[in-house]
Amino acid sequence: MAEENEKEADSTQTGVFPVVEKPRKLSRAASSTISSWSEFLRELRHNRHTRGLVSSLILIALGAGVGYAFMAQQRITNTSYDALSESELVTLLDETNNQITRLETQRTQLSQQLDSIQTANNKQQEIERIAQENKDANDILSGSTAAYGPGIQVTISQGTKKDVSAASLFTVIEELRNAGAEVIQIGDVRVVTSTYVTDTKTGLVSDGVLLEAPYVIKAIGDKTALQNAIDISGGVGSSLRVNYGSTVTVVQKSKVDITALAHSFEYKYAQTVE
Amino acid sequence: MAAVLGIIVGVVVGIFVHTDVPVWLQPYLPIMVVAALDALLGAGRSFFERNFSDRVFVISFLSNVLTAVLLVYIGSLLGVSSQLTTAVIVVLGIRIFSNVSAIRRFIFSA
Repeated sequence: MAEENEKEADSTQTGVFPVVEKPRKLSRAASSTISSWSEFLRELRHNRHTRGLVSSLILIALGAGVGYAFMAQQRITNTSYDALSESELVTLLDETNNQITRLETQRTQLSQQLDSIQTANNKQQEIERIAQENKDANDILSGSTAAYGPGIQVTISQGTKKDVSAASLFTVIEELRNAGAEVIQIGDVRVVTSTYVTDTKTGLVSDGVLLEAPYVIKAIGDKTALQNAIDISGGVGSSLRVNYGSTVTVVQKSKVDITALAHSFEYKYAQTVE
Repeated sequence: MAAVLGIIVGVVVGIFVHTDVPVWLQPYLPIMVVAALDALLGAGRSFFERNFSDRVFVISFLSNVLTAVLLVYIGSLLGVSSQLTTAVIVVLGIRIFSNVSAIRRFIFSA
């Protein structure tokens, strides 16, 4: 006997090591995981952790926090530049470049005026002539006089999918400006530098005036360029149609009357250079 | 479960109540939401594994959210906030996927 035992101990053959299993905790059910719907329902009813009132309230509060934060975040994402696609960003960049070009043209114009004043024989008269020209232009720009000229009329109906947002209406104005619109009017509001559009509970408000759908926007400028600015594929017109479900109609007119005047503006800080 | 009920309540409230998210919170809110989603799915998974505990859930929820925010905050201090945001989102995304697949295995046993 002893010999045999020694033989066994001397054996050098290695077998497969026995698998040591961690003893499974014996829970109420035989299996430790849920594998059927009835088990799931039973677990819902009997799990001691999900039954207490306090723990339920904490869970509800945490869940509500997540849900609420989600919706709030989703609202931000809808309105910020982050959410814009690459092509939209490219369009924005193009618009900015257009604006730079226009500003440069303006600079050239102004230096020409300066040159003509400096070279003119009758300086006083030349200054007055240019001042009058600038005044006429500024009156139109600042909205203190009515204006007419060739242009377009854009009619945007209220969206069928969702209400037209202030941001999209503002984009329409921006597009018109970039396309060289000289005078713009939304509804009964003359668009000037300080004009704003904002969402309120009752609808869109611009410069304190409630805008009613359909929104009628008139603009004076190059008719074709203005129409292209709205109707260009992938532009603001199609985004209004696709995203809001509103109908956008653009009509070219040889005479657009813009009669709305901007509120006169009291300058508080700025003073003119004499 | 109570948490799912809570999410529904939160979303409904979020639809009707418009609040402005303060600017300082804006870079952190999406991270917090994703981290919280991960914690919720982890809770769902542990429920199916029968070791769900509300205490563990609450702590993991808060620590998840806090860690994610802290990482992004440190990133913003070091000037790599957008990269760290991406890193956090990727890691949490992977975890969400694995949690969902674990839950799927319990529900469909496949």
